[in-house]
Amino acid sequence: MTAQFPGGGTLTGTLSLQERPGGLCAVTFSAMASPCEVLVDIGDRALALQLAGLVAQEAWRIEQKYSRYRDDSVVAWIHGRRGSPCVVDAETAALLDFAWQCFEMSEGMFDITSGILRRAWKFDGSDRVPDQATVTQLLSSIGLDKVRWESSELLLPAGMELDFGGIGKEYAVDRAYDILAACCRHPFLINLGGDLRANRPPSSGTWRVGIERPDSDRSAAMLLDLEHGALATSGDSHRFLLKDSIRYSHILDPRTGWPVANAPRSVTVAASSCTEAGLLATLAMLHGDGARDFLEEQGARHWILQ
Amino acid sequence: MQLKSQPAVLRRRLIAASCALLTTSATRSQEAPEGGFVGRLLKEWQLESALAYYHENGRVQAIEPVVSASHDYDDGGNVSFNFTFDSLSGSSPNGALPSRAAQTFASPSAQSFATARRLYNVAPGNLPADPHYSDARAAFGGSWTLPLERLTRVTLGGKLSIEDDFYSGTFNAAIAHDFNDKNTTLSFGISDEADVIKPIGNTPVPLSNYAAFDKEGNKSKNGVAALLGLTQVMNRYWLAQLNVTADRFSGYLNDPYKIVSVLDAGGNTTGYIYENRPEVRTRRSVYLENRVGGARASAGLSLRYMTDTWGIRSQTAQVNLRWWAAGRQQYIEPTVRWYHQTAADFFQPWLPNTTAPATQFISADSRLANFHALTYGVKYGFDLSDKLHRGGIRAHRTRRVLSADTQHQHCDAGLAAGTRSVSEPEGRPGAVRLQLLGA
Repeated sequence: MTAQFPGGGTLTGTLSLQERPGGLCAVTFSAMASPCEVLVDIGDRALALQLAGLVAQEAWRIEQKYSRYRDDSVVAWIHGRRGSPCVVDAETAALLDFAWQCFEMSEGMFDITSGILRRAWKFDGSDRVPDQATVTQLLSSIGLDKVRWESSELLLPAGMELDFGGIGKEYAVDRAYDILAACCRHPFLINLGGDLRANRPPSSGTWRVGIERPDSDRSAAMLLDLEHGALATSGDSHRFLLKDSIRYSHILDPRTGWPVANAPRSVTVAASSCTEAGLLATLAMLHGDGARDFLEEQGARHWILQ
Repeated sequence: MQLKSQPAVLRRRLIAASCALLTTSATRSQEAPEGGFVGRLLKEWQLESALAYYHENGRVQAIEPVVSASHDYDDGGNVSFNFTFDSLSGSSPNGALPSRAAQTFASPSAQSFATARRLYNVAPGNLPADPHYSDARAAFGGSWTLPLERLTRVTLGGKLSIEDDFYSGTFNAAIAHDFNDKNTTLSFGISDEADVIKPIGNTPVPLSNYAAFDKEGNKSKNGVAALLGLTQVMNRYWLAQLNVTADRFSGYLNDPYKIVSVLDAGGNTTGYIYENRPEVRTRRSVYLENRVGGARASAGLSLRYMTDTWGIRSQTAQVNLRWWAAGRQQYIEPTVRWYHQTAADFFQPWLPNTTAPATQFISADSRLANFHALTYGVKYGFDLSDKLHRGGIRAHRTRRVLSADTQHQHCDAGLAAGTRSVSEPEGRPGAVRLQLLGA
């Protein structure tokens, strides 16, 4: 018989509420190692807190379930069963289906098994660039096509890892959005660490979103006015290596195991769902200096910081 | 570094994939969705409805509303139900041949020409057909699939069908087992069918004179069938399937409304008798299907060979190609089907008035004749919006080529000429079929 994930613990945290100009309530909390906030265009503070609580709960639920840092996550559970088939729950199955489709449509550029490259590449601003032999050895354990995945049954070969980090945050925004949209008709915006989605413009006009400069001073480099829809940003923030005056970005191509040359500092994409926007931003980064062409070809609204 | 896809194709696929992710997990990661009975029903069950309409050169019209619902369980099980209501009306050939003289027939409910409420006349040279043919059918079916263990599934199903003159109940059971890394599926199924035939105006005595209105009570028939199937995933793009089936029907297998013309030596119609078919029919068939597909196109080739104890042997070959456009949101699928069958041993378009029909089997039903048919069809499908709505329009046009069997060629040329319009077993000649699928 194949094993089934028994479920993990519960993750919680604290919420704090502020009133912002224009009659907005802003509730902030921390999830997925990022600052998060929910803006609701509503005067009732208690209600705003309750609504934001739904978002936080969902973000924490997804973090607990898919974090690669927790030993009670479904990811840790799968890693504990490498080499033998296991049956995953419907939500994980849907995420695996999605990851598989992204792997196929990007011809291997987007790959949730590529996380082990972190063992070779430590983007700490230092000059420790790994040697090719180390990278080549890791490449033999990368490739979603080496994983057997059929309906709800998964067989992860020994030595391989799954990492939902590349889609988890955007997925959490969309899931939380659906929960909030089902019970709240007031304008709201959900922002989980810079990936965000809004249902409609607030009474004051538009949602003003600042995109931070990924490197230097964390000041807003761009201000966007958003009415509704989703924005996701892929950026290399402080994560890079510098050797012989070559700056290696933290965007690694799973097919070569090496950083993408000339990747933009950050790519922000607008789309109807955060999952879609996030994937487009990630794929654009992987296109290096072809990022802009790629996004234009796909007809996606975008903002690129070089 | 550039992706080898056309502009925006990737994005359309991504939109579809995101929608699939967010809708599947939305219904499954949440417990007990609220929203009342209908809301729950819509959330947990996939409902589909379809409406089909046939028009066949003024012959038969059908309207077939179909409602189906299915529900998937997390353990891989599934329950589905469907309800169909058909109504057919128009004219239907009665089996008699065109004649040089005008012919008069009574509708099936009649117990004599004198008391018949409705008679119909057929002009010289025209194919006799009952112009008032109408039938309605309501059918309800259900199936339940449950996983026995990881690689084995059992399906139990049943169907009840009620027509004005026909009641049918079917039970079926099947077991499927996956092996070879789920690349191979072996399945075995059996079914049992019990039918009651209750013809309008009672059952005519086989071989009796049409004008005698010699009728008897209700009839029944039984059928059993078995299927052995093998499905093989050859590679990511190629799927092959082989099915072997056998079935056996016994009981009343006549069409109670079909008659056979009796002709004199000069080819003049002197009368009609009711048809008479053997009471047992056993069929065996082999079906092979290959389907290859990529992201933008797929092709299927299927071949079927059937033989039965009535002497009918048929071959079917079908090719269909499907092209996806606009990021798999639309497709167009042309289909060509070629069908050929040999006549049943007892098929005879008419009977000489010198033969005594006391014990022989005879039918002039053109579905038992030797013929081949070529059917072309084209199907167009599209996504109405991002995820929920599916729509499709199908149009089919069948051209049939009727080949008169040589052993019947000696009958009067004026009578045997291809003026007969014959319906083929699968599909309808000259029919334009429109099917609208709404979400």
